[in-house]
Amino acid sequence: MKRFFEKIGSSIVTKEVFEDKKSLRSLYRYFLIGLLIRLGFLPFFFQRDLLSTYQRAAETINTGNFGFDNIQIFTNIIHSAYLVIIRLIFPAINQLFPVLLEKDTWTSWIGFISNNNVFTALTLFKLPYLIFDMACMFLILRLAFDGEPEKKLRVFKYWIFNPLVIFVLYIFARHDIIAIAVTLAALLLAKKDRKYWAIVVLIFGIALRFFPILILPLFIFYLVRNKRDYIILSLIGVFGLTGLELFMHFYFDKSIILPLLNSEHFDYFFSSKLELISHDRIFIFAAVYIVIILSFLHIKKKSFDLLINYGAIVYLTYISLCYFHPQYVLWTVPFLVIASVRRKSLLYYQWIQFALLMVILIYWGNLITTFVFAPIDHKFFINLTGPIPIIERFYDSAKFVNIFRSIFTGVSMWMVYLIYKDNKKLRETGSGGDKL
Amino acid sequence: MTSFKENMKKGISKIIIIITALLLLSILLLTGCSGIFYVPGASYGYYIWEENNDIFVEWSVDRKDAKFDGRLSTDGAITSYKLKEWEEANDIISIGENSIDFSATLASRDYSDGFSFSVQDYTYLEFDLKINDGYDLSRINLGSFLENPENTIFRIGKSYFDQLKMRPWYQKHPFSEFFHKLFSNKYFTFLHIFVLGIIIIEILRVTIFSRRKRKLFLMMLSYAGLAVIEVAIYFLLKFFNS
Repeated sequence: MKRFFEKIGSSIVTKEVFEDKKSLRSLYRYFLIGLLIRLGFLPFFFQRDLLSTYQRAAETINTGNFGFDNIQIFTNIIHSAYLVIIRLIFPAINQLFPVLLEKDTWTSWIGFISNNNVFTALTLFKLPYLIFDMACMFLILRLAFDGEPEKKLRVFKYWIFNPLVIFVLYIFARHDIIAIAVTLAALLLAKKDRKYWAIVVLIFGIALRFFPILILPLFIFYLVRNKRDYIILSLIGVFGLTGLELFMHFYFDKSIILPLLNSEHFDYFFSSKLELISHDRIFIFAAVYIVIILSFLHIKKKSFDLLINYGAIVYLTYISLCYFHPQYVLWTVPFLVIASVRRKSLLYYQWIQFALLMVILIYWGNLITTFVFAPIDHKFFINLTGPIPIIERFYDSAKFVNIFRSIFTGVSMWMVYLIYKDNKKLRETGSGGDKL
Repeated sequence: MTSFKENMKKGISKIIIIITALLLLSILLLTGCSGIFYVPGASYGYYIWEENNDIFVEWSVDRKDAKFDGRLSTDGAITSYKLKEWEEANDIISIGENSIDFSATLASRDYSDGFSFSVQDYTYLEFDLKINDGYDLSRINLGSFLENPENTIFRIGKSYFDQLKMRPWYQKHPFSEFFHKLFSNKYFTFLHIFVLGIIIIEILRVTIFSRRKRKLFLMMLSYAGLAVIEVAIYFLLKFFNS
């Protein structure tokens, strides 16, 4: 019996950490403190998009149309299935169901935040994110520093106390963590050299939240060993996407790729541009992205650590150069927590990024500032003067926010440079960071 | 021509002012905002309060064009008045023995207007306040933030502001609704506190208790403490909601 539980423990926290009693105790302590912080925030805060996500799920349940949200069909299916379950178990959710079906966004929002069961609903709505967050905690342990329990423990600690993770999941309440968990699973498969499964899982991640597409080329270049691999992996990619498109077309009579390409989220990739003459312009992120991909392609010995570092570079470059929503910054975190163990200054820069993000996000207005706290007292937080009118009273608010945005970009680009320096050391010595 | 250095200094000082204002605002909010507080040119609505026996009526909008007009009457006598940031060209006020009529506009560079007055021998003050020719009661703050009237034409008694000052913090926003929701959803509240309590006890167990001799006793004591806290919170919430 004891052996059975030891086996389970070892499979959750990895063999190295499980066998090192000091690390195991620290890991348990960090886990408990992290859980306490997460549960503390769980019932009280959310951003309007969480309600929209569950409204789409409610609409799906009500109409039986699983293709209702065709851009994020799998995310919608997960939320719909979960909503069916909690609706059956908790009367509070059943009572809120008509509010979820309300078409008018303002009416539904007011109906939700003023409801006496709002804390129960928010806890239940965010619970899957906590589960996926926990999955990420233990997946990320496995991605680096094999045989080094102390460093694994630091990866765990940096994830569990990461302000961006706590903010995006438990205050902002966005679902990016589902796709991140899938992406981490794909990374783990890549590390274990399960190349075809790694690509298949990553494509599923892309279907969940589009962003893993940025690391798809890195994945392919890392996993290929010969020409045959190129052909097979490309075919998986092409047939995967074509299959998905055909499935959507025949089953729901809708396209998934075209709306995605026309969505404003896709346009964010092209938000920074260099205007030349007439129609001629250069999309800065696209150009820099190609440089990053080519630089990875030309590395002869591509280690898994390099793949992780390049993942961090890609996402940091994205948030440096493109328009983004606060939750997109979460995509940098899994890569950065690993890179931070090699170079601790990256951790401090992540905290600076977070502080700057708290200023940058105020430009989106009350919806993501004062209204986030509205479940506590809707009347108070709706009528509360938001930060933008206060700033506007003294200074141009766009200019004010953009000063911080520019600092954010500067810090992020500096982080890219630090990781790039580590890459050089990684290639030379097999390990990078502070202690080289 | 101002130098780059001077411009930089100006910019930095403005940023410092904004950050200080934001900090001040958050401190005031966190401390329960016992008096009335508004930021001229950012806050939106009427703000009415009493200070040294004078009644203050002021209004502000977030730098948009807006019209504020209304009438105030009483059964007492208005003995004196003062105008605040009054623009003769756009703002009109007429003071009678027991009434005040006003009409004023605000714009992007006109952050707030208002007046104060002394009134004697009165039992009530009656207000009829409009914003942009309509009524918006949620924008009329009487004595403190979000103490809104219930009727378009409303009266307050002489002791209204004193009574308001005596109202405890837990009956004011945002605490009142927060405690109400926690109490109306008590099964969830106590389960949530219980789970948080278990985690805290577990943290204590692996950090402090593990080094002590009487681990079991300390654990039992902690759980007993948690039960007491749950009961205390129940009665506290019941009291706050009574």
